[in-house]
Amino acid sequence: MNVKRGLWLFAIAIFLGSQSQTAAVASVDLSTGIRYVSDSGTLSDCSAKAKAALETYLPGASESSPGSGEWSAMGQNVATGAASSGAAVRCYPLPKGYLVTFICAVQLPANPYPAHALCLNIAHKFYGGAITPLAAMPTATPVPTGCATTNLVGSWVSDNDPKLSFNMQLNGDLTDNEGVSGNWIIDGETVTLTYYGNHTLKLSPDGKHLSGPGYNLTRKC
Amino acid sequence: MTRISRCRVALLAVGLIVAFGSLSARAPAALDMNVGVGKVVANQPVSACNNSAKAALNSVLQDAVELGGDTGEWLAFGAPDSANGSTTAAAVHCYPLGGSYLVTFTCAAQVPPSPDSAAALCTKITAAFDSGAR
Repeated sequence: MNVKRGLWLFAIAIFLGSQSQTAAVASVDLSTGIRYVSDSGTLSDCSAKAKAALETYLPGASESSPGSGEWSAMGQNVATGAASSGAAVRCYPLPKGYLVTFICAVQLPANPYPAHALCLNIAHKFYGGAITPLAAMPTATPVPTGCATTNLVGSWVSDNDPKLSFNMQLNGDLTDNEGVSGNWIIDGETVTLTYYGNHTLKLSPDGKHLSGPGYNLTRKC
Repeated sequence: MTRISRCRVALLAVGLIVAFGSLSARAPAALDMNVGVGKVVANQPVSACNNSAKAALNSVLQDAVELGGDTGEWLAFGAPDSANGSTTAAAVHCYPLGGSYLVTFTCAAQVPPSPDSAAALCTKITAAFDSGAR
């Protein structure tokens, strides 16, 4: 075999795969510059307001060390399962009153709104001002449960061999009780199982039974 | 299909598996944020803080800018990656307190691809600031 040509094919395959990663690359957006000086109140007052303002938009605000007046919180994009937003509110006591600063960071495009929008709302929540609704954070697609007639997600047991069972997943994968994997597709009531070959089965109107040549399965639901 | 063709197809398949397989193994990028040091430097003007803040940010990141005019609020981002996005950023705030100043450091990083966590980034910037500040 022409080794050079083979290596070219290998390189092309690597290149094609790497191109699909570029869409996932994101960037950090940082907002700073909002600060507020109160000529009255204590560090404790500032801290209480900082915690409340942060927790209006991000869960679980914490102080970096007790009494420091430095508060931060992170928000998670449930769809990606990773943190995509964060904010810090720092209080500092002055001879009269206190100084407070607001800094926010988000990861774009995973986060649905920019850092400045988050910081402006937190600051306005702290000292008063117009609140602009932020775009909703994406939520995870719930896994279907029950005997749906639109998918096969769940556990199935062979009517002919009770030891043989399948776990069908949302992404179209299936795994049997011995870890052998395959796939499923449903079109109307017609189901194609790819498992030691392709098998065409019919889904019953109640979504509980799959039947066809070689396989008769009942769903646990 | 000839033997050579089969070999080529096999190599193409292996290449695709290596390339796409590495995608699923990669951890999702997460935002990391760090509330760094906040300290008062006595008997120094805020201009000294501004000078050190700009130098420190530029030594670790790039293109440090002061927001507005003479605000003492400095911001810089890391060099953009291949997708033209910065995955690191930091802010240094200088605030005058009579004849002294307050300085705070706040950092953010997207990990991966940033090799530095936000805390590591803030540590570097704080060290650079201290080496240039009195």
